[in-house]
Amino acid sequence: MTSSGLDRRQFLQRLAAAGLLAVPGAGLLSACATGGGGGGGGTTAAQGEKTATNPLGVPADLGLEVVIFKGGYGDDYAKAHEALYTKSFPNAKITHLATTQIAQEMQPRFVGGNPPDVLDDAGAQKIDYATLAAEGQCADLTPLLDAPSVDDPNVKVRDTLLPGVIEQGTYDGKFLMLNYVYAGYPMWYSKPLFEKNGWQVPTTLDQMMALCETIKATGISPWAYGGTNAADYIFDLSLGMAIKQGGPDVAKKIDNLEPDAWKQDTVVAGVKALEEMVRKGYFMPGSEGLKHTEAQTAWVQGKAAFYVSGSWLENEMKGIAPDDFTMTAAPVPVLGPGSALPVEAVHTQPTEAFLVPAKAKNVYGGMEYLRIMLSKAGAAQFAELTASVPGVKGATEGAKKTPGLESMSAVLDKAGSNVFSWKINTWYVNFWKSVLQAQLGNLLAGRIDANGFITTVQAEADKLAKDPNVPKYTR
Amino acid sequence: MNQTDAGVIETRERASTLPTTTERSGNAEGPTAGERTLNLFSTGFLVVWALISLVPLVWAVLTAFKTDREIFTSPWGLPGEWRFDNFVRAWTNAEIGKYFINSTIVVVASVVLVMLFGAMVAYVLARYEFPGRNIIYYAFVGGMTFPIFLALVPLFFIVQNLGMIDTYYGLILVYTAYALPFTVFFLTSFFRTLPGALAEAAMLDGCSHAGAFFRIMLPLAKPGLISVAIFNFLGLWNQFLLPLAIMKSTDYKVLSQGLTLLASDTGYRSDWSALFAGLVIALLPVVVVYAAFQRKIQDGLSVGALK
Amino acid sequence: MGYGKYRFIASFLALPLLLYVVFVVSPYVQAFYISMTDWRGFSANQKFIGLDNFVELAGDQLFWKAMWHNLLLLIIVPVVTLGIALFLATMTSLGGRRGLLARGGVRGSRFYQVVFFFPHVVPVVLAGVLFTFFYNPEAGLLNALLRVIGLDWAVRPWLGDTTFALPALTVVLIWGAVGFYYVLFSAAMKSVPTDVFEAATLDGAGRMRTFFSITLPMIWDSIQVSYIYLGITMLDGFTLFQAMLPEGGPDNSTLIVSQYLYRKAFVEGRFGYATAIGVALCLVFIVLAVVALRATRRERIEF
Repeated sequence: MTSSGLDRRQFLQRLAAAGLLAVPGAGLLSACATGGGGGGGGTTAAQGEKTATNPLGVPADLGLEVVIFKGGYGDDYAKAHEALYTKSFPNAKITHLATTQIAQEMQPRFVGGNPPDVLDDAGAQKIDYATLAAEGQCADLTPLLDAPSVDDPNVKVRDTLLPGVIEQGTYDGKFLMLNYVYAGYPMWYSKPLFEKNGWQVPTTLDQMMALCETIKATGISPWAYGGTNAADYIFDLSLGMAIKQGGPDVAKKIDNLEPDAWKQDTVVAGVKALEEMVRKGYFMPGSEGLKHTEAQTAWVQGKAAFYVSGSWLENEMKGIAPDDFTMTAAPVPVLGPGSALPVEAVHTQPTEAFLVPAKAKNVYGGMEYLRIMLSKAGAAQFAELTASVPGVKGATEGAKKTPGLESMSAVLDKAGSNVFSWKINTWYVNFWKSVLQAQLGNLLAGRIDANGFITTVQAEADKLAKDPNVPKYTR
Repeated sequence: MNQTDAGVIETRERASTLPTTTERSGNAEGPTAGERTLNLFSTGFLVVWALISLVPLVWAVLTAFKTDREIFTSPWGLPGEWRFDNFVRAWTNAEIGKYFINSTIVVVASVVLVMLFGAMVAYVLARYEFPGRNIIYYAFVGGMTFPIFLALVPLFFIVQNLGMIDTYYGLILVYTAYALPFTVFFLTSFFRTLPGALAEAAMLDGCSHAGAFFRIMLPLAKPGLISVAIFNFLGLWNQFLLPLAIMKSTDYKVLSQGLTLLASDTGYRSDWSALFAGLVIALLPVVVVYAAFQRKIQDGLSVGALK
Repeated sequence: MGYGKYRFIASFLALPLLLYVVFVVSPYVQAFYISMTDWRGFSANQKFIGLDNFVELAGDQLFWKAMWHNLLLLIIVPVVTLGIALFLATMTSLGGRRGLLARGGVRGSRFYQVVFFFPHVVPVVLAGVLFTFFYNPEAGLLNALLRVIGLDWAVRPWLGDTTFALPALTVVLIWGAVGFYYVLFSAAMKSVPTDVFEAATLDGAGRMRTFFSITLPMIWDSIQVSYIYLGITMLDGFTLFQAMLPEGGPDNSTLIVSQYLYRKAFVEGRFGYATAIGVALCLVFIVLAVVALRATRRERIEF
């Protein structure tokens, strides 16, 4: 880094000498001077005295700047968390900033070396997680995991988290991001519609194909998807079935970009199932030309029976779905007998990454803020204000639940520790979007078959594995 | 003006070599069958185009009164009832009132400044020969081709070094600078079409270069100036990338930034009805401004300086 | 004249140029430097790598695919848009009854002059939502219309079709652009002196003839400028494409360069490479603009 900084400085100085860059050159030079050095430590961060009530040693008077992605969850929950923080540190001045344009607003601050103390990096304009991790811009949150929880000094924070939360935020062995919202990815259906028709939710692929035939005969499409921007939702069906059949290693091989990972038997079988569903017309006609919002609308209007999406779906369709729709979740089926994971297993992926920038002024204050978010009071506030599940054990106990949230909680309870996930969509977002999503769109629109899909995706994955410009992660 | 006649004759001679599809028809007779068909087709096309220009606007206004369910399940229907609370929600949630004032201050000041600067540069580029003229011209044209988001980070540091973050004048200067290429580009070609003889005559009468510009050419260029000013107004009113780099504090944000707060992403619920209401609130003044200035253009043109 | 002239030129250029250089040119000059680095955009870390990004770009198939789409837009959108705008402007500015001649359009011109501009006022985000509904395969207005008039074979999932997605978006771009150029051409036509048309009518020139022999040459400068400006805006088109097909359309069939650039910068965290794309785009355009200006150069018509 130092040598590269010099290259750049010399270059800019020459330009400045040429009179081209007098003012801006100085700007980037100072940015360069304050920047520098990979992170992941936060060793130079200000720290106060550690006490029982302040286990992280937060400097009590140091201000705290919190930047929140103000999307579907709003920012009221964050204001509640900030109030809790003020209660512990009454002299710390809290700065609250809510925005949707995370990347554009935060970019100059990361470059300039004056990032906020807590950043909720989410939404379509989020900063790519893998990039932030590779650039060493995130503080290692291990001290947070090892700190005692707010509610019980004998229980560490790490033991209050739901399964998968730590794994999801870990890059190269360091826990860098707290993905606060616990999302599950089941299949969704309208309970009254299924009861009215006497349809049973399938647990195996054969059952599902049979049910699809029955549903199709009634004039309803078995499945819908939003092909123009969310074809990848359907991947929860195909890859989900594959992982349940073959076990979590199936996903691990794919994430690690191992040779022939996409040619694993169960993966191919999952893709072939999609091909068959396409051939038999089980997807709502025209789905390839729909946005996810349009496809979901058609689905809640009863034009299709099943839809796959994350657990935010009910919230997203609030006010659009009929009041008696009773959105209900079920885990995706298994491919056949002898599956490695039980049929109850479900794909979960914690989302909404909260991070503490390595160059934040108040790194330990940022961690303390996250610790407060994970307290019973903090988690309950979030669940109440957003009708969503935070990644903390028991956070929604006793809370009033909507039908969708209720059934999602039931699915998660039944799954227990049988949850699985894949990382390829967060580690290699561009691959996921420009390769997987595009090819899946082709497959679902009938432009290619399963073999074509597997061949292309495997070739692109091999190319990615060799691409020196993309930072790699393994698990 | 003898020059006029000469020009026309020259034009016509050159143009007569162009293929023409309609042969001349005697001007004393009534319209021929062919012309009638053409008339019918033309009028039909005008009506159709008027419809497809008007309907989306009407649709947007109607949609702003709907519930989210109506927007999605019957996008082409009328709202079940006129829900003004959508507008209230947009107004309060997105703090549109405050942002509206900020936008107005910044955009009006920028348009005035860019029109003055743009006209000065364009006039010089169009009317004077001097070394480096083409370089300057293409530097401005090239400025229109680069995506703004590549400039955001360097721009932020420039503005920060000048101490202009979260200031009206910072954004005004930036808006002016970024509107210059378009303004210069259009006004240069406009000044080229104006009769230069007038300015020359004025200078023979003792006007200075600047005097000829401000007293003769600027009034002559009024129609062009008004059009470009309107386009600049619209462009800057809807600009949302530049303020991102400059307006950080909630007190100084502009309308387009406020509206993005209402729009949301995959996986989150958007308040669609409030979003449409907010967009309509933002759009209506623009329509009014245009409708008002449409007359100004007519008036500006009817001054008759060009006859 | 000489000395005073240069002092005048300098005094008129100084302030605007200063502003332009500080706020526009210098960020882009820095961008030019950034295009020769491996900067990821979210820290101060970067290394000078010379022309590596451009070498990689030359072999980047997706980039060339996107570039091809931009070139298609660059040709089709201006031709169609300017054609429609010219036609509408002629009709409403000059299309009145021929006997009285020339100035003044058909009945209702004032109304048209206001209304035709409206699409330009509609925010792109809103137009995106509207046309997404319009193209919806089941609930959309377009397929419904086609079914009503019996053209069932033409019904298709427009935005999900690799062949028709790009044309579908092109139509929206044209719809949004015509109003602007309509106003521009109307203004230009009005600044053509009336006596020119009077002379033409006295000569017995028909409407088509008048259009091609007089109107068109008289406003040629405006058309040329418009073509270039429209071409420039077609290089972008980001907002609309992002609003309607954010993932680049079926099989990347509507991916345009600015979207690809955005993807590389913010999704993949390769700002250096993304900036190289921007620089390449800028260079391609300047070459095209120069060629277009040379090819369409005509002697100026003075009047």
